[in-house]
Amino acid sequence: MRKAVLICPGRGTYTKTELGSLARFPDRNLLAHFDARRTALNQETLTALDSAATYSVSKHTRGDNASALIYACTLGDSLALQVVEIVAVTGNSMGWYSALACAGALTPQNGFEVVNTMGTLMQQSLIGGQIIHPFLDENWRPNPARRAELLAIAAEITTRPDHTLTLSIDLGGMLVLAGNEAGLKAFEAAVPPEQGRFPMRLANHAAFHTALQAPVAAQGRAALPETLFQQPQKPLIDGRGQIWWPGSTRKAALYDYTLGHQVTEPYDFTAAIRSAAREFAPDLFIIAGPGTTLGGAVAQSLILSHWQGMASKADFQTRQTANPLLVSMGLPEQRALVT
Amino acid sequence: MGRSVIVHENFLRRAAARDFPQGAPPSGPLAPEDAVSIYRAACTSRALDRTSREMQRQGKGFYTIGSSGHEGLAAVALALRPTDMAFLHYRDAAFQIARAGQVPGQTIAYDMLLSFAASSEDPISGGRHKVLGSKALNIPPQTSTIASHLPKAVGAAYAIGAAKKNRPEHAELPDDAIVYCSFGDASANHSTAQGAFNAAGWTAYQNLPLPLLFVCEDNGIGISTKTPTGWIANSFKHRPGLKYFHANGLDIFETYRTAQEAAAYVRTRRKPAFLHLKTIRLYGHAGADMPTTYLPREEVEAEEAHDPLLHMVRQLDQSGALPAAQALEIYNDTADRITRIAAEATTRPHLKTAAEVMAAIIPPPRPCKPTNGPSAEARANAFGSDLKQIDEPQIMSRLINWTLTDLMLTHPEIVMMGEDVGRKGGVYGVTQKLTQRFGQARMIDTLLDEQSILGLAIGMAQNGFIPFPEIQFLAYLHNAEDQLRGEAATLPFFSNGQYSNPMVLRIAGLGYQKGFGGHFHNDNSVAVLRDIPGLILACPSNGADAAKMLRECARLAREEQRLVVFLEPIALYPMRDLHTDKDGLWMQRYPAPDETIPFGEVGQHGDGDDLAIVTFGNGNYLSHQALPAITSSGIKTRIIDTRWLSPLPKDALTAATKGCKHILIVDETRHSGGVAEALMAHFHEASPAKLARLTATDSFIATGPAYAATMPSAASITQAAKELCK
Repeated sequence: MRKAVLICPGRGTYTKTELGSLARFPDRNLLAHFDARRTALNQETLTALDSAATYSVSKHTRGDNASALIYACTLGDSLALQVVEIVAVTGNSMGWYSALACAGALTPQNGFEVVNTMGTLMQQSLIGGQIIHPFLDENWRPNPARRAELLAIAAEITTRPDHTLTLSIDLGGMLVLAGNEAGLKAFEAAVPPEQGRFPMRLANHAAFHTALQAPVAAQGRAALPETLFQQPQKPLIDGRGQIWWPGSTRKAALYDYTLGHQVTEPYDFTAAIRSAAREFAPDLFIIAGPGTTLGGAVAQSLILSHWQGMASKADFQTRQTANPLLVSMGLPEQRALVT
Repeated sequence: MGRSVIVHENFLRRAAARDFPQGAPPSGPLAPEDAVSIYRAACTSRALDRTSREMQRQGKGFYTIGSSGHEGLAAVALALRPTDMAFLHYRDAAFQIARAGQVPGQTIAYDMLLSFAASSEDPISGGRHKVLGSKALNIPPQTSTIASHLPKAVGAAYAIGAAKKNRPEHAELPDDAIVYCSFGDASANHSTAQGAFNAAGWTAYQNLPLPLLFVCEDNGIGISTKTPTGWIANSFKHRPGLKYFHANGLDIFETYRTAQEAAAYVRTRRKPAFLHLKTIRLYGHAGADMPTTYLPREEVEAEEAHDPLLHMVRQLDQSGALPAAQALEIYNDTADRITRIAAEATTRPHLKTAAEVMAAIIPPPRPCKPTNGPSAEARANAFGSDLKQIDEPQIMSRLINWTLTDLMLTHPEIVMMGEDVGRKGGVYGVTQKLTQRFGQARMIDTLLDEQSILGLAIGMAQNGFIPFPEIQFLAYLHNAEDQLRGEAATLPFFSNGQYSNPMVLRIAGLGYQKGFGGHFHNDNSVAVLRDIPGLILACPSNGADAAKMLRECARLAREEQRLVVFLEPIALYPMRDLHTDKDGLWMQRYPAPDETIPFGEVGQHGDGDDLAIVTFGNGNYLSHQALPAITSSGIKTRIIDTRWLSPLPKDALTAATKGCKHILIVDETRHSGGVAEALMAHFHEASPAKLARLTATDSFIATGPAYAATMPSAASITQAAKELCK
């Protein structure tokens, strides 16, 4: 059986084309449980959100809705996997909560509690915002100097009075920066537009993975007890590239990371993919959940990790065509390869 | 069938059947999750050993000395902090794997397989050598040493205390760190190791802080030679200054508890400890070593029956941390995982060219904070009454002393160490008053052991200091030379330039001390320093050059992280006159503190083109003495002072002798292996001039009236010059 690393996507992946995704959720009772919990919290059910006639940016991208929706889609996909053996689980940003559940460190129900609580808290606070900008060119050739340049721009901006801008996510060939409005605006003014859409603000996103989220982390710890966590059943790779192994995971440490460092410090998705490749050498990287936008970041992370000698977009495409390395479950033809 | 296969199959069979070796039940503070972590690290280490053998069979792996039998060292790693610098025994893969689990983002299996595969992507050595080591894990690279890493571990431990009072710009270790240093029972007998134990005890005995944990991994045998029963315990139980601990390395619960106690003792008391850890050795010394060729098969099998992994499975099962069936699953999953990763790692590129291999011999420059030098007031305070004489001509030893004063004022991270460098001010007074000026913490009077002096320097350099160790006489370098050759010079090479130990080693040496000392105080051989890749050997011939070259040497160490040896000709220390009594022609004024002689720049006196005398050190002085007689015979002469003996400044020498019809090389070192051999070879390749050489004979130096009989003299130089230019 082919061995695969499962990758859980983060915020921003449930878009209008994802409406109706939960129709394929394989465990109706579990989905009903999520809906019941949402109802009890006076939140619109996931089923209702997913089956809405039209997609509403203002509604569907809100943290208190999007987080649980993405979680459910991701979890559903992981439950639907067949013909592959998952050897490790990782995720990007909010996908960390999904990864915890997919690896068994949280039950599906407890995973929902964590993701819905954190998504709601993020939305209630909505401190700052995020902006995304590439440091690779369109051929994805590694360019560490450009990355350093962008970080230096951010570092300079954050020294200005009333400006905050720091690294939020290392996302393959892109940097997600986060800060306050002044910081984000200053960055937009400081870099020339690239590829027709960058730098790009991320709607309804807060300044995730920065010190600005410290109050949210504290609220999360107050709302969510450590007892929700358990030993993972699969190796779990976090946003530093650290592997949490079954049997050797200290629950208190996992709790502290999830509701501490993970919330307030940069999330290194590139390192997570590097660890996944180098320490598990899987046949496949499977991106679960809604959307197809994470594939590029995974491929870029593999290039940045020198994985299998890939050094450019063309190298990756050649490899992918010859023998697919990356499966996005959001694409029906690729989904069919693993379900 | 190889022993590694036998041990593997025994494990599978016995773990499945719950047929465990007898041993103590688990007890102590080891948490169940940590116990499983240790076991996972052990399984990874074991799988790497087996895979390395398979890689070698396929021609894709190049190293098979393994860690099997020593996997309990993972428990020691968990008892320490990843910021505790670790100098590892070559059987400590499990230690490094366990430590990697303490630092986020490590890809330890892939990295170690790259190292077995000698891939240029190996993150520690860049494909130069299979080493244990990691910058992120504070493990300077270590390969198959015979305990030569112990003296620098003593130095690094000393540097923690020193940095607490005077933190260098490039310090790496936190104030509360300890240093860890492991080795085998066989190499514990090595004189280098014994010197390090002695230096550690000697230091701690005086209540100086030395937070150092020695771990002796006693598997009872060194290749085929057994360690006598009880030897390690009885040798180390009662050493002054060194606290002894003991644990069974096959019992991870006991090992963790004891290592914790030992580490706590070292950390809180700031004193060294010796942890004696009983291990076993599986599969022999290395892949090619078959233990059954020199040990009875029954003995080998009896040892294998105590496979530490079987003990771990038993204890994990007994403690409830992990059922045996799951432990077996982890073993198999890990083996499969390592095989898969190896398949990728062995496709990665290798070094190919000499230039690629050599790229890390010289470490990269490092950024240093700019300095404007000391204030006039600080200088006045330090120099005191010497300042009144600073514009008067002085002998070389005094100019070196003033240079050292200015350097120490400018760079607080410079420290000196050696026998008698402090209170006495050096045998020849070169370091006089420096203790009063800079204190004992920066002027360290060491015990009488050159290996310990160099180990102290190397270790302190690894915590950001710029050591200026002193070896009292050139002949005394030789018993410690491997600390330069095998350790200091190789560190950048084995670490791909990530680690360095810059220093300026001052050595008083060479001959011509009138009637004093004989061989051991006048040794005239530098061959041992000239073939060490990356090492710079400088030799001044007068006081002003000495000052300017020493400043350049300090810069090379501080900014370019270079390993520099500064060879000071003893006979020239007090030299005042050149031709006649009281002519004062060999004394100079102290050059302004910003004046330097750049690395590779040679000295030139005169511009005659009949003859170039190429020389250095005392030879330069003697050539100047000979010069009037040579020129009076109509030979237009120039004298070239090579100054830099390794690497030779070949281009500068070629340029300085251009157009000269004859080149006479005057070399006070020995005829065989001396500097002249290299100079002759160079000029033969690079110059059309007629060549001759005048060297010392292949002799030791005599005491008494014949003290200079074996070496060039002004008269013999004159004669050689005339003969060459006939």
